[in-house]
Amino acid sequence: MSRAAQFAQVAALAAIAVQAVAAADGQWSMPAKDYAATRYSDLTQITAQNAKGLHPLWTFSTGVLGGHEGQPLVVGDTMYVVTPWPNVLYAFDLAHEGYPLRWKYRPEVSSNAIGAACCDTVNRGAFYLDGKLIYNLLDGHTVAVDARSGRELWKSQIADLGSGETTTMAPLVVGERVIVGAAGGEFGIYGWLKALDLNSGRTLWNVHNMGPDADMHVNAATFRPFYDHGADLGTRSWGNDSWKTGGAPVWGWMAYDPQLDLIYYGTGNAAPYNPEQRPGDNKWSSSVLARRPADGALVWAYQFTPHDSWDYDATGAMVIADLSIAGKPVKALVHFDKNGFAYTFDRSNGQLLVAQPFVPVTWAQGVDLATGRPRLDPSKQTGVSKGNVKGICPSLEGGVSPASPPAYSPRTHLFYTSTNNLCMDYEAAHANYLKGTPYMGINSPYNPGPGGYLGSFIAWDAASGRKVWEAKEAYPTWSGALVTAGDVAFYGTLDGWFKSVDARSGRELSRFKVGSGVVGNPITFRAPDGKQYVAVYAGLGGDWALLSGDIRSDDPSDVRAPADYMKDIARHTSQGGMIWIFGL
Amino acid sequence: MNANVPVAALAAVLMAALLCGCTRQPAPAPAQPATPPAVRYESHLAAGGLLPPGAVLRNPHAGDVAVAKSGAQLFNAMNCDGCHGEDASGNWAPNLGDGRWRYGGADAEVFSSIYYGRPKGMPAFGGVLGAEGVWTLVTYLRSLAPPPNIPTESWQEPP
Repeated sequence: MSRAAQFAQVAALAAIAVQAVAAADGQWSMPAKDYAATRYSDLTQITAQNAKGLHPLWTFSTGVLGGHEGQPLVVGDTMYVVTPWPNVLYAFDLAHEGYPLRWKYRPEVSSNAIGAACCDTVNRGAFYLDGKLIYNLLDGHTVAVDARSGRELWKSQIADLGSGETTTMAPLVVGERVIVGAAGGEFGIYGWLKALDLNSGRTLWNVHNMGPDADMHVNAATFRPFYDHGADLGTRSWGNDSWKTGGAPVWGWMAYDPQLDLIYYGTGNAAPYNPEQRPGDNKWSSSVLARRPADGALVWAYQFTPHDSWDYDATGAMVIADLSIAGKPVKALVHFDKNGFAYTFDRSNGQLLVAQPFVPVTWAQGVDLATGRPRLDPSKQTGVSKGNVKGICPSLEGGVSPASPPAYSPRTHLFYTSTNNLCMDYEAAHANYLKGTPYMGINSPYNPGPGGYLGSFIAWDAASGRKVWEAKEAYPTWSGALVTAGDVAFYGTLDGWFKSVDARSGRELSRFKVGSGVVGNPITFRAPDGKQYVAVYAGLGGDWALLSGDIRSDDPSDVRAPADYMKDIARHTSQGGMIWIFGL
Repeated sequence: MNANVPVAALAAVLMAALLCGCTRQPAPAPAQPATPPAVRYESHLAAGGLLPPGAVLRNPHAGDVAVAKSGAQLFNAMNCDGCHGEDASGNWAPNLGDGRWRYGGADAEVFSSIYYGRPKGMPAFGGVLGAEGVWTLVTYLRSLAPPPNIPTESWQEPP
């Protein structure tokens, strides 16, 4: 047996073991609950019948004001929380009243990362495996911390802050490989993915998302994309050698299929935002890539938005689900893209099976399943020569933010996701590359989408590409989703309501106004007292730290006027990081 | 365009293009007395009530409308607008035209912020632009007229 095959077998066994443990014991040990990234828990104490009795039982201020994306982890009798920069790691003792801290880990992390992070100082969480917590610091480092003592085990520099690389994503650990990437699509980085050794932090492989085949770990024997063929797609699809500063960052979520031994992740926008500086498809920006964890080899890839002209990152979650499509069982991969379409693939080969809009879309009329390509509306193509292009839906905040991962219930066979109902005008400008500064070239004011609401929480049938129900919200909806075997789904709103809804009908079951807007992802767990709880962060931020107006009160030099499409959000919320736990 | 190679050339060309005809005399280097090297912040507290001496930096283009206009172009060409927004109106980094300054708004203080950078991620531009380029930016930023008030309470219903 080759080393790679041996590794794959071990990884697969480990994956199955972890999945089984996580499913059976009420823990939440990895960002998306399981390797399939379902954010589904089989806990059943909280049901659609009793959820109206949910109320807050415990809160804790993290002392940090940045946007609290991501989610806590619960392993055994401990809850772990990573804050936005300065990336404090808290360990709470769930076995004692008041959940006092067991320990607190304070990493050294550069304050320069604040300015290099485009969209607030967010962190999307830690991953627990083998007694270690693994997470990224904003300034381009990955750390491993001993889960019992809070002692730092290793710290590795993975990214170059000086080039505009910051690290906001949660790692995925497969076997002994810690998979990480970097943000920086606004700084013209040369987007990449790395695997670190779980025990030492040493880099095992480093692959790029574009560039020469050698840099991308593409070889003819293993690379079999369903729609695209030929060598060096990662350079040939970028005019003027623009791949060298082409962005395609990795800052979202990953999934792993132990049977196929493939990791799935999405890439962000191509840089700069003015598409005329990078003629061609720009592969593999705004794409999903399937790679082997052992050596990073690329197996298949699909580009959602060729020649991205609207900042449509594809870093949103890739969810593994076994679906029945037209009566046939399908090993599916489901993705809600910033570009407004929801995609259902055959995850073994990247064949697109379903692609339908889940929010109002104007940049394309649809997606051709035979070619995999969007049917573009030429009047919505952007670039310096196009001037100010109006009425593009969705806005570059996305039909859903990649920061807001969906959930999938194998009981209802439905996906649950937040959405944004915003459109934009897009006026591109020539961008100059200057290392360590933004490489953008855009002015893009937003407008409300049609219908008189700015966001929603929806249930989606990915087998047919159909919206099953929709709970409309006054503001863009930016939290992740959670769904349970009690058939209850959970989400939070930008103005700070934490809600539970009936997973089958969308009927609201409970609501509570938490301390700040919710941009994090709810989780559920069983505490040492045997009861089921739901935890979520409050902490308005992410893009909404920039766009909400006067929601920041700790800096007298930063006072912002309200956004003209939602003038009153600052009436309802302001910054503030808190963990909330709800129970019956 | 790629990487570092053209940056110095770019800056030089930009500076030549932007400043051609705008300056009345060769740009003087800022005064750099041997001691002390640092800019003194007038807003800082002083132990014993005694302010230490500080470097004297004077903007050679203070109030020059033509230089301010060049500075506006340089602001975009150097990607300042990426973080600080179109017309310096704020994006992920603060608004620079609202009269509110994190590190002081006097010419010398703004010069120091741009030339050497700031530890919350403001890059040092002194290396790529030199003193003359930084003064050009300072002149632009100081030309922006602060609004009388930032309307943070605009949710109020009209009576």
